[in-house]
Amino acid sequence: MWHIIVSSLPEMIGAMLQFTIPLAIISFIFGLILAVLTALIKFIEPSENKALRYPWLALRAIANFYVWLFRSTPLLVQLFIIFFGLPSIGIQLPAFLAAVIGFSLNTGAYASETIRSALLSVPQDQWDAAYTLNFTTRQTLMKVVLPQAVRIALPPLSNSFIGLVKDTSLASSITILEMFQVSQQITAKNYQPLLMYSLAALLYAIVCSLLSWLQHYLERRTSKYVKGGQN
Amino acid sequence: MISAKHINKQYDGKTVLNDISVDFPDGKTTVILGPSGSGKSTLLRSLDMLVRPESGTVSFPDIEVDYSKPISKKDSFNLRRKTSMVFQNWNLFPNLTVLENITTAPITVLKRSKNDSELLAKQLLKEVGLEGLEDRYPSQLSGGQQQRISICRALAMHPEYILLDEPTSALDPELETQVLRILEKLCEQGQSMIIVTHNMEFARLVSDKIVFIEDGNKLYDGDTKDFFNHPTQRIKDFLSGISLDEETDSIK
Repeated sequence: MWHIIVSSLPEMIGAMLQFTIPLAIISFIFGLILAVLTALIKFIEPSENKALRYPWLALRAIANFYVWLFRSTPLLVQLFIIFFGLPSIGIQLPAFLAAVIGFSLNTGAYASETIRSALLSVPQDQWDAAYTLNFTTRQTLMKVVLPQAVRIALPPLSNSFIGLVKDTSLASSITILEMFQVSQQITAKNYQPLLMYSLAALLYAIVCSLLSWLQHYLERRTSKYVKGGQN
Repeated sequence: MISAKHINKQYDGKTVLNDISVDFPDGKTTVILGPSGSGKSTLLRSLDMLVRPESGTVSFPDIEVDYSKPISKKDSFNLRRKTSMVFQNWNLFPNLTVLENITTAPITVLKRSKNDSELLAKQLLKEVGLEGLEDRYPSQLSGGQQQRISICRALAMHPEYILLDEPTSALDPELETQVLRILEKLCEQGQSMIIVTHNMEFARLVSDKIVFIEDGNKLYDGDTKDFFNHPTQRIKDFLSGISLDEETDSIK
C-alpha cells in the first residue's frame, strides 16, 4: 500500500500545484472583484441626478440578472456551456481559461450576496455619523463601512473559497488534468479506487485546513477593535 | 444664525413636522423640548440634511438650502460644514482608534495635515479629560468617555453649530454629569449649540432659548426663563409629567 501511495503522490501533488490551487486562487480573486462590484452596484442607491440615475439602474438590472443566472443553474452545467457550448457560436476557449471564467462568475454571484449582506450589517448610525462630518459616500465606504464589512464577510467568504477549492474537481469534466482527474487515471491503472480517492480526499482536506487556519488568522487581524476580538 | 422656515416632513403619510419655522441664534444655546415622537430629533436632523424634509428652507447668512428643490453636492457640503451632530448613541467608528475617530474627518474632508489634526485632537481630548486614550478603540471605553470623544470629533471640524441629539439619554447619571459638564463649558465659551434633551435641569441651566414641539407643531419658541416661569397649561402638564417630584408645582 505504501508503495502505491508513494508512487502516486508526486503526480497528484503535481496536478494540485499545477491546476487545482492556481484555478482556485485565480478564480477566487476574479470572483471577489466581481462580487464587490456587483454588491456595490446593488447596495448604493442611485443618485438624484438623472444623467447618472438611469445608467446606474441599468447596471443594477444587469447585476441582478447575473446573480440570478449563476445562482439558478448548476456549476457543472455552466462549465459545460462555456467550454463545450460556446464554440458553436465561434467562441473557443482553452480549457483552463474556460474553467477560470466559469468558477469566477459562479463564485462572484454567491460572494456578492455575502458582501452585500455585510454592507447592510453596518448600522445606518455609522452613515449618519460620517455624513454629519461631511464624508462623501465613497469616503464613508472606504474609511468606515468597508473595513467593518470585511470583518463580517470573512467567515462566509472563507466558506466560498473552501467550497471553490473542492469544486475545482469539476474541472476534470472539461478536460483539465487537475488532481481528482489524475487520481482517476491512476485508479484506472492500479484498480485501487478506495485508496486513490481517499488519498485525493486527504489532499483536499489538507489544503482546506490550511485555508481554515488562514481564515482564523485574518479574523483575528480584522477583529482587533472588537471587545474580546483578539481572543 | 440658522433660520429654518416652513419645514414640513412626513413619514409614510404621517406628518412629523408641520410647517415649523425657528431661528437658532449664534453664540447661544437653544434647547428643543417635547414628548417622545414629537418631531424634535427630526427637526434637528433637518438642519444637517440627515433627514430630508419635503419642503422648507434652512438658511445661514451666506447659504440657503431649499428642500423642495434638488440640492447640489456643493450646497449640501457647505450646509454640513456649518454644523456637526453629536448622537444619542455617540456613533463612534468602532474600527478606528480614538485619535483616528477625531482626525479622519479633518484629514479626509478638510485636507488638513495629519500632524496638525493629531495635535488638535490631542488638545481636544485634554480639554475633555481624556488624554492618554488616543490609541484605544471605542469598545474599550465607557459610554461617557465615548460621548466625550464624539463631542471632540464634532469640534475638530470647527462647525459653527454643534447639534446634540439627546446626548446623555443613554448614560447613567454619573456618566451623564461628565458629559453635561463639557457642554456647560462649551456653552460658557460661546459655542453655538442646539440640543435635544429630556434633562430639564440641564435645559434650564444652559439654554438661552427653548423650542417646544408636540406632534410636529411648535407650541413654544422663546426665552428660557419665560418657558419655566410662565408656562402655558400644556407646558405645565409636560413638565409635571416628566417629574417624580410633587413640588414641580413650585416652578409654575
